[in-house]
Amino acid sequence: MIEANSAPEQAPGTIFSHAASNNPTQHSSAPVLSARALRRAYGSTLALDGVDLEILTGESVAIMGPSGSGKSTLLHTLAGIEKPDSGSVLLASSAGQQDITTLGESARSKLRREAFGFVFQSGLLIPELTAVENVAMALMINGLPRAAALPQANQWLSALGLAGMEERRIGQLSGGQAQRVAIARAQVTGAKVIFADEPTGALDSATGTEVLNVLMESTVGRGNTLVMVTHDADVAARCDRIISLRDGKITSETRPGSPNTIAPGAQH
Amino acid sequence: MRTLSLAWLLGKPTAARRAPMLLTAGAYGLVSALVLTTIAGALSFNRIQNELSGMYLMLAGLACVLLIVPLAVLGSAAARLSARSQDLRLSTVRLLGGTPGLVLGITVVESALVAFTGAMAGIALYAGMAPLVGMIQFQGSAIGAAIWLNPGIIALVVLGVVLIAALSSGFGMRKIIVSPLGVRNRSQTPKPRWIRALIVVGLIAGISQAFSMISVFKDLAVMLAVLLGGFALGVGALNLVGPWAVGLIGKAKLKKAETPEKLLAARMILENPAQAWRQVSGIAMTCFVAVVGGSGAALMNMAGTESSPGSPDALLSADVMTGVIITIVVSFISVACSTAITQAATTLDRAELYAGLNMLGVQRSTMEKARVGSVMGPVIGVGLGSIIISGVLVLPLAGMAMIFAPLSVAIILGTLVAGVLAVRGAVALTSTSQTLKLVRID
Repeated sequence: MIEANSAPEQAPGTIFSHAASNNPTQHSSAPVLSARALRRAYGSTLALDGVDLEILTGESVAIMGPSGSGKSTLLHTLAGIEKPDSGSVLLASSAGQQDITTLGESARSKLRREAFGFVFQSGLLIPELTAVENVAMALMINGLPRAAALPQANQWLSALGLAGMEERRIGQLSGGQAQRVAIARAQVTGAKVIFADEPTGALDSATGTEVLNVLMESTVGRGNTLVMVTHDADVAARCDRIISLRDGKITSETRPGSPNTIAPGAQH
Repeated sequence: MRTLSLAWLLGKPTAARRAPMLLTAGAYGLVSALVLTTIAGALSFNRIQNELSGMYLMLAGLACVLLIVPLAVLGSAAARLSARSQDLRLSTVRLLGGTPGLVLGITVVESALVAFTGAMAGIALYAGMAPLVGMIQFQGSAIGAAIWLNPGIIALVVLGVVLIAALSSGFGMRKIIVSPLGVRNRSQTPKPRWIRALIVVGLIAGISQAFSMISVFKDLAVMLAVLLGGFALGVGALNLVGPWAVGLIGKAKLKKAETPEKLLAARMILENPAQAWRQVSGIAMTCFVAVVGGSGAALMNMAGTESSPGSPDALLSADVMTGVIITIVVSFISVACSTAITQAATTLDRAELYAGLNMLGVQRSTMEKARVGSVMGPVIGVGLGSIIISGVLVLPLAGMAMIFAPLSVAIILGTLVAGVLAVRGAVALTSTSQTLKLVRID
């Protein structure tokens, strides 16, 4: 079983200890996620057509491709949101490797709550709750009492530049501020892998850059792993590796700043 | 003309819209059937030809006033669901260059059409229930054929339901913004102020004064008007203070909330106390009727057994008890239906959020428990509050009823509990997954 992370293992005060960049020394060679021969069809359309992919601990990976190329399906499958028709996704944890495609719905829900963090384009924040309650909710759902969850949530919001806005409701925040709340919620549980689906897609370019900086620094900057779907080549260029998809197949893997394109399926 | 043709074009029930449309039409059907039956019941008292005929008409009028609020809330909830269920189409109209006025026109026309369809079904339901309702006895004889209304009144009720639907949807649209990119709620909802409590205190003082002077009026019609007017004002006062009281319940729950479900439920109440109140306002009034009317009826029943059997006085006491129970039942049916409709509309509003939170690993049961808590918290809080306040208002009467007519009191309390369970059933019926499945969002 996957071990629960009921509290952040690294205090948020230390999240900006070093800037995140395309620095390969930040991640280890051990894969945290290994996808093998993933296939997923919607009717006659193949969304994933034999995808093999390894995500290393501490690296940032951008998944790019045109609409309908299968990038969101790949992210959802890696995160246990969807089950593939065939293939496996191995997640490394302290208890060893586990194929998450074999887990039932409630076990995958638990996994998503405890081991992963998510940042989506729409934020998916609960409008009735305040900023701090939205973040604390992630801890409370994992069983932490409210009194213990609120201070941790406050710490994260402060670390992400939202000090003084804790009691504001989501409708009272700007798009960029709301996305920071979503980033705090994704990481307050101590998740080691963060999945982001177009996290800056709904923001203007200046705000998008700010949010991306916060996302990179608070994830890979702390040694965690970031898997991000994006349409934006500038956003993708901030990652260690870019995976390009077309018609459900990986067509190329590139390392920004490196002239070499890696052949699909190559080991890292 | 363009509005009509567009409404016709957009109004075709697709698979995704069939369930909300059926739910809305069903709600209007129920409202129509209940209104027709209530009016028929009230008018049937015209057949009573003795010194108590005036009293019967007054009590029937009182029951009608008390049923206005739950029925109006049900109509308004149906209109809101109707508007929300055509979100995407309305956004498309705006994207194609349609003005907000055109969108409003389409919504109003469609709501009116759905209400008309529902009202027709309501007439059938009324006709179906009539033989059963006709068996209810007042003044020793069954209502019988007096339950049948003449077609003119039926047509007026249909017209009224269609008008209420059109007006409610028009007003309901003021609370949402239809932009080319989608439909969303206006974020700012007015917060209830404590000043309302002061206005209510003033209103109650005025009503008490009017009631204390009621014996001054010699004309029965004037007395009736003062009494019904007083009750209507009382209902208005309750609606002013209600959101504030529900807000207090929400704050108390927020303070104690330790689990995600409880925190979310409290915040859902506090998000819009006025809406939370509207859902339970019928319960406050029903509990008031149950305690005040029920205590009086129970004691009258006891006194009636001492009168000569079959005398008008003995029959009146039994009839008041019957009337109180019918009012409670009809009121709870309305509350349960409006709760179901409001919950379905709320779930549709938040379909994307629910689906997204599920992706994040938040289990449906968490959101479900929060939703149930946000409805049942105010139901129980407002219901108990209303029972306690009305009990204190008529303390000697309620106390005597409990001592001398425990069976009647037990029947009233049993009806209340059944009503609360009916509301709980309505909440369960419109579970998040069920509603999203119906519109195929899940």
